[in-house]
Amino acid sequence: MDERHEDERNARERKKRNIAIALVLGGLVLLFFLMTMVRLGGHVAEWFD
Amino acid sequence: MITAAYAPGYRAATVGDFFTLLKPRVMSLVIFTGLAGIVVAPGYVHPLTAFTALLCIAVGAGASGALNMAYDADIDRLMARTAARPVAMGHIAREDALIFGWWLAAGAVGIMGLLVNILAGALLAFTIFFYVAIYTLWLKRRTPQNIVIGGLAGALPPAIGWAAVTGSLSPAPLVLVLIIFLWTPPHFWALALFRSDDYARAGVPMMPNVNGKAFTRRQIFGYTLALVPVGLLPAFVGLGGILYLAVAALFGCWMIRESFAVLRETDETREPAARRLFSVSICYLFALFAALICEHLLSIAPLGAHLSGAWM
Repeated sequence: MDERHEDERNARERKKRNIAIALVLGGLVLLFFLMTMVRLGGHVAEWFD
Repeated sequence: MITAAYAPGYRAATVGDFFTLLKPRVMSLVIFTGLAGIVVAPGYVHPLTAFTALLCIAVGAGASGALNMAYDADIDRLMARTAARPVAMGHIAREDALIFGWWLAAGAVGIMGLLVNILAGALLAFTIFFYVAIYTLWLKRRTPQNIVIGGLAGALPPAIGWAAVTGSLSPAPLVLVLIIFLWTPPHFWALALFRSDDYARAGVPMMPNVNGKAFTRRQIFGYTLALVPVGLLPAFVGLGGILYLAVAALFGCWMIRESFAVLRETDETREPAARRLFSVSICYLFALFAALICEHLLSIAPLGAHLSGAWM
């Protein structure tokens, strides 16, 4: 494989890694949001009584 | 457009390389036994909390695998079974694997502690510490008892699952821990019998290399004889019912038969009996925990009194 093809391949792999990291971080945000809802349950309003 | 300039011959790590670093096959068994701990634990847990606990157990196991591959890259390179691992191959730098592994471990423990409960987080932290520090860094290269003691790390996921649901520990989940703990030596020593050249080349003091194959065969048979009755115990501590008892008895007989074949083995070059036992031991553990999970999903009542009174 020549150097240019290697560079293209490496850049492609780096992009895929970045997308994977973005997806994981997005998933974490969603998980924290949903788990906060689960833990608060239906009692959020009571805190402000 | 290409914006990065890479050194000639450099091969960037792929997403697949990082996934391999998590030891997905080991992870799947850990997820399964952790799930059993969650399912058999008394009380209600929100499905999303159960999912989060399982995710943390899986990521914690993956982190342990990544750290193991980072610290053991030098010996992995020497063994045919592990030579293709990403750090051993040089696809991922050792430092990158360490950073990846420690971040995942911290993340899994932190999220377990924050979103599930502190006890489950602490147990997960202990499991990762035990696997990395006690097994990988200390015992693995020093003693043929490495996988016996180190096996505790692989045995703990059912207790973590149980703690995730109940916030406590009791004797019942520790029976499941004991099953995996006793299962580990026959499973790994079967592998060590037919991979003894690999371990000898890497200088890892596995039982067949240190004490000989005949001694290892007797140890495998002895541990199997201890394992099979303990495998029946969940039916007597209120975890398993009649289906579990039947499965544990049937697969237990199969384990004894195969370990007896290992004891009588004469073909020390190919070790066909050890290869069979290695596969059968995976089926055994899978069958036992699958039976437990199925019974609880099908609402089959457990036999015996429930020993779920919390200790802590």
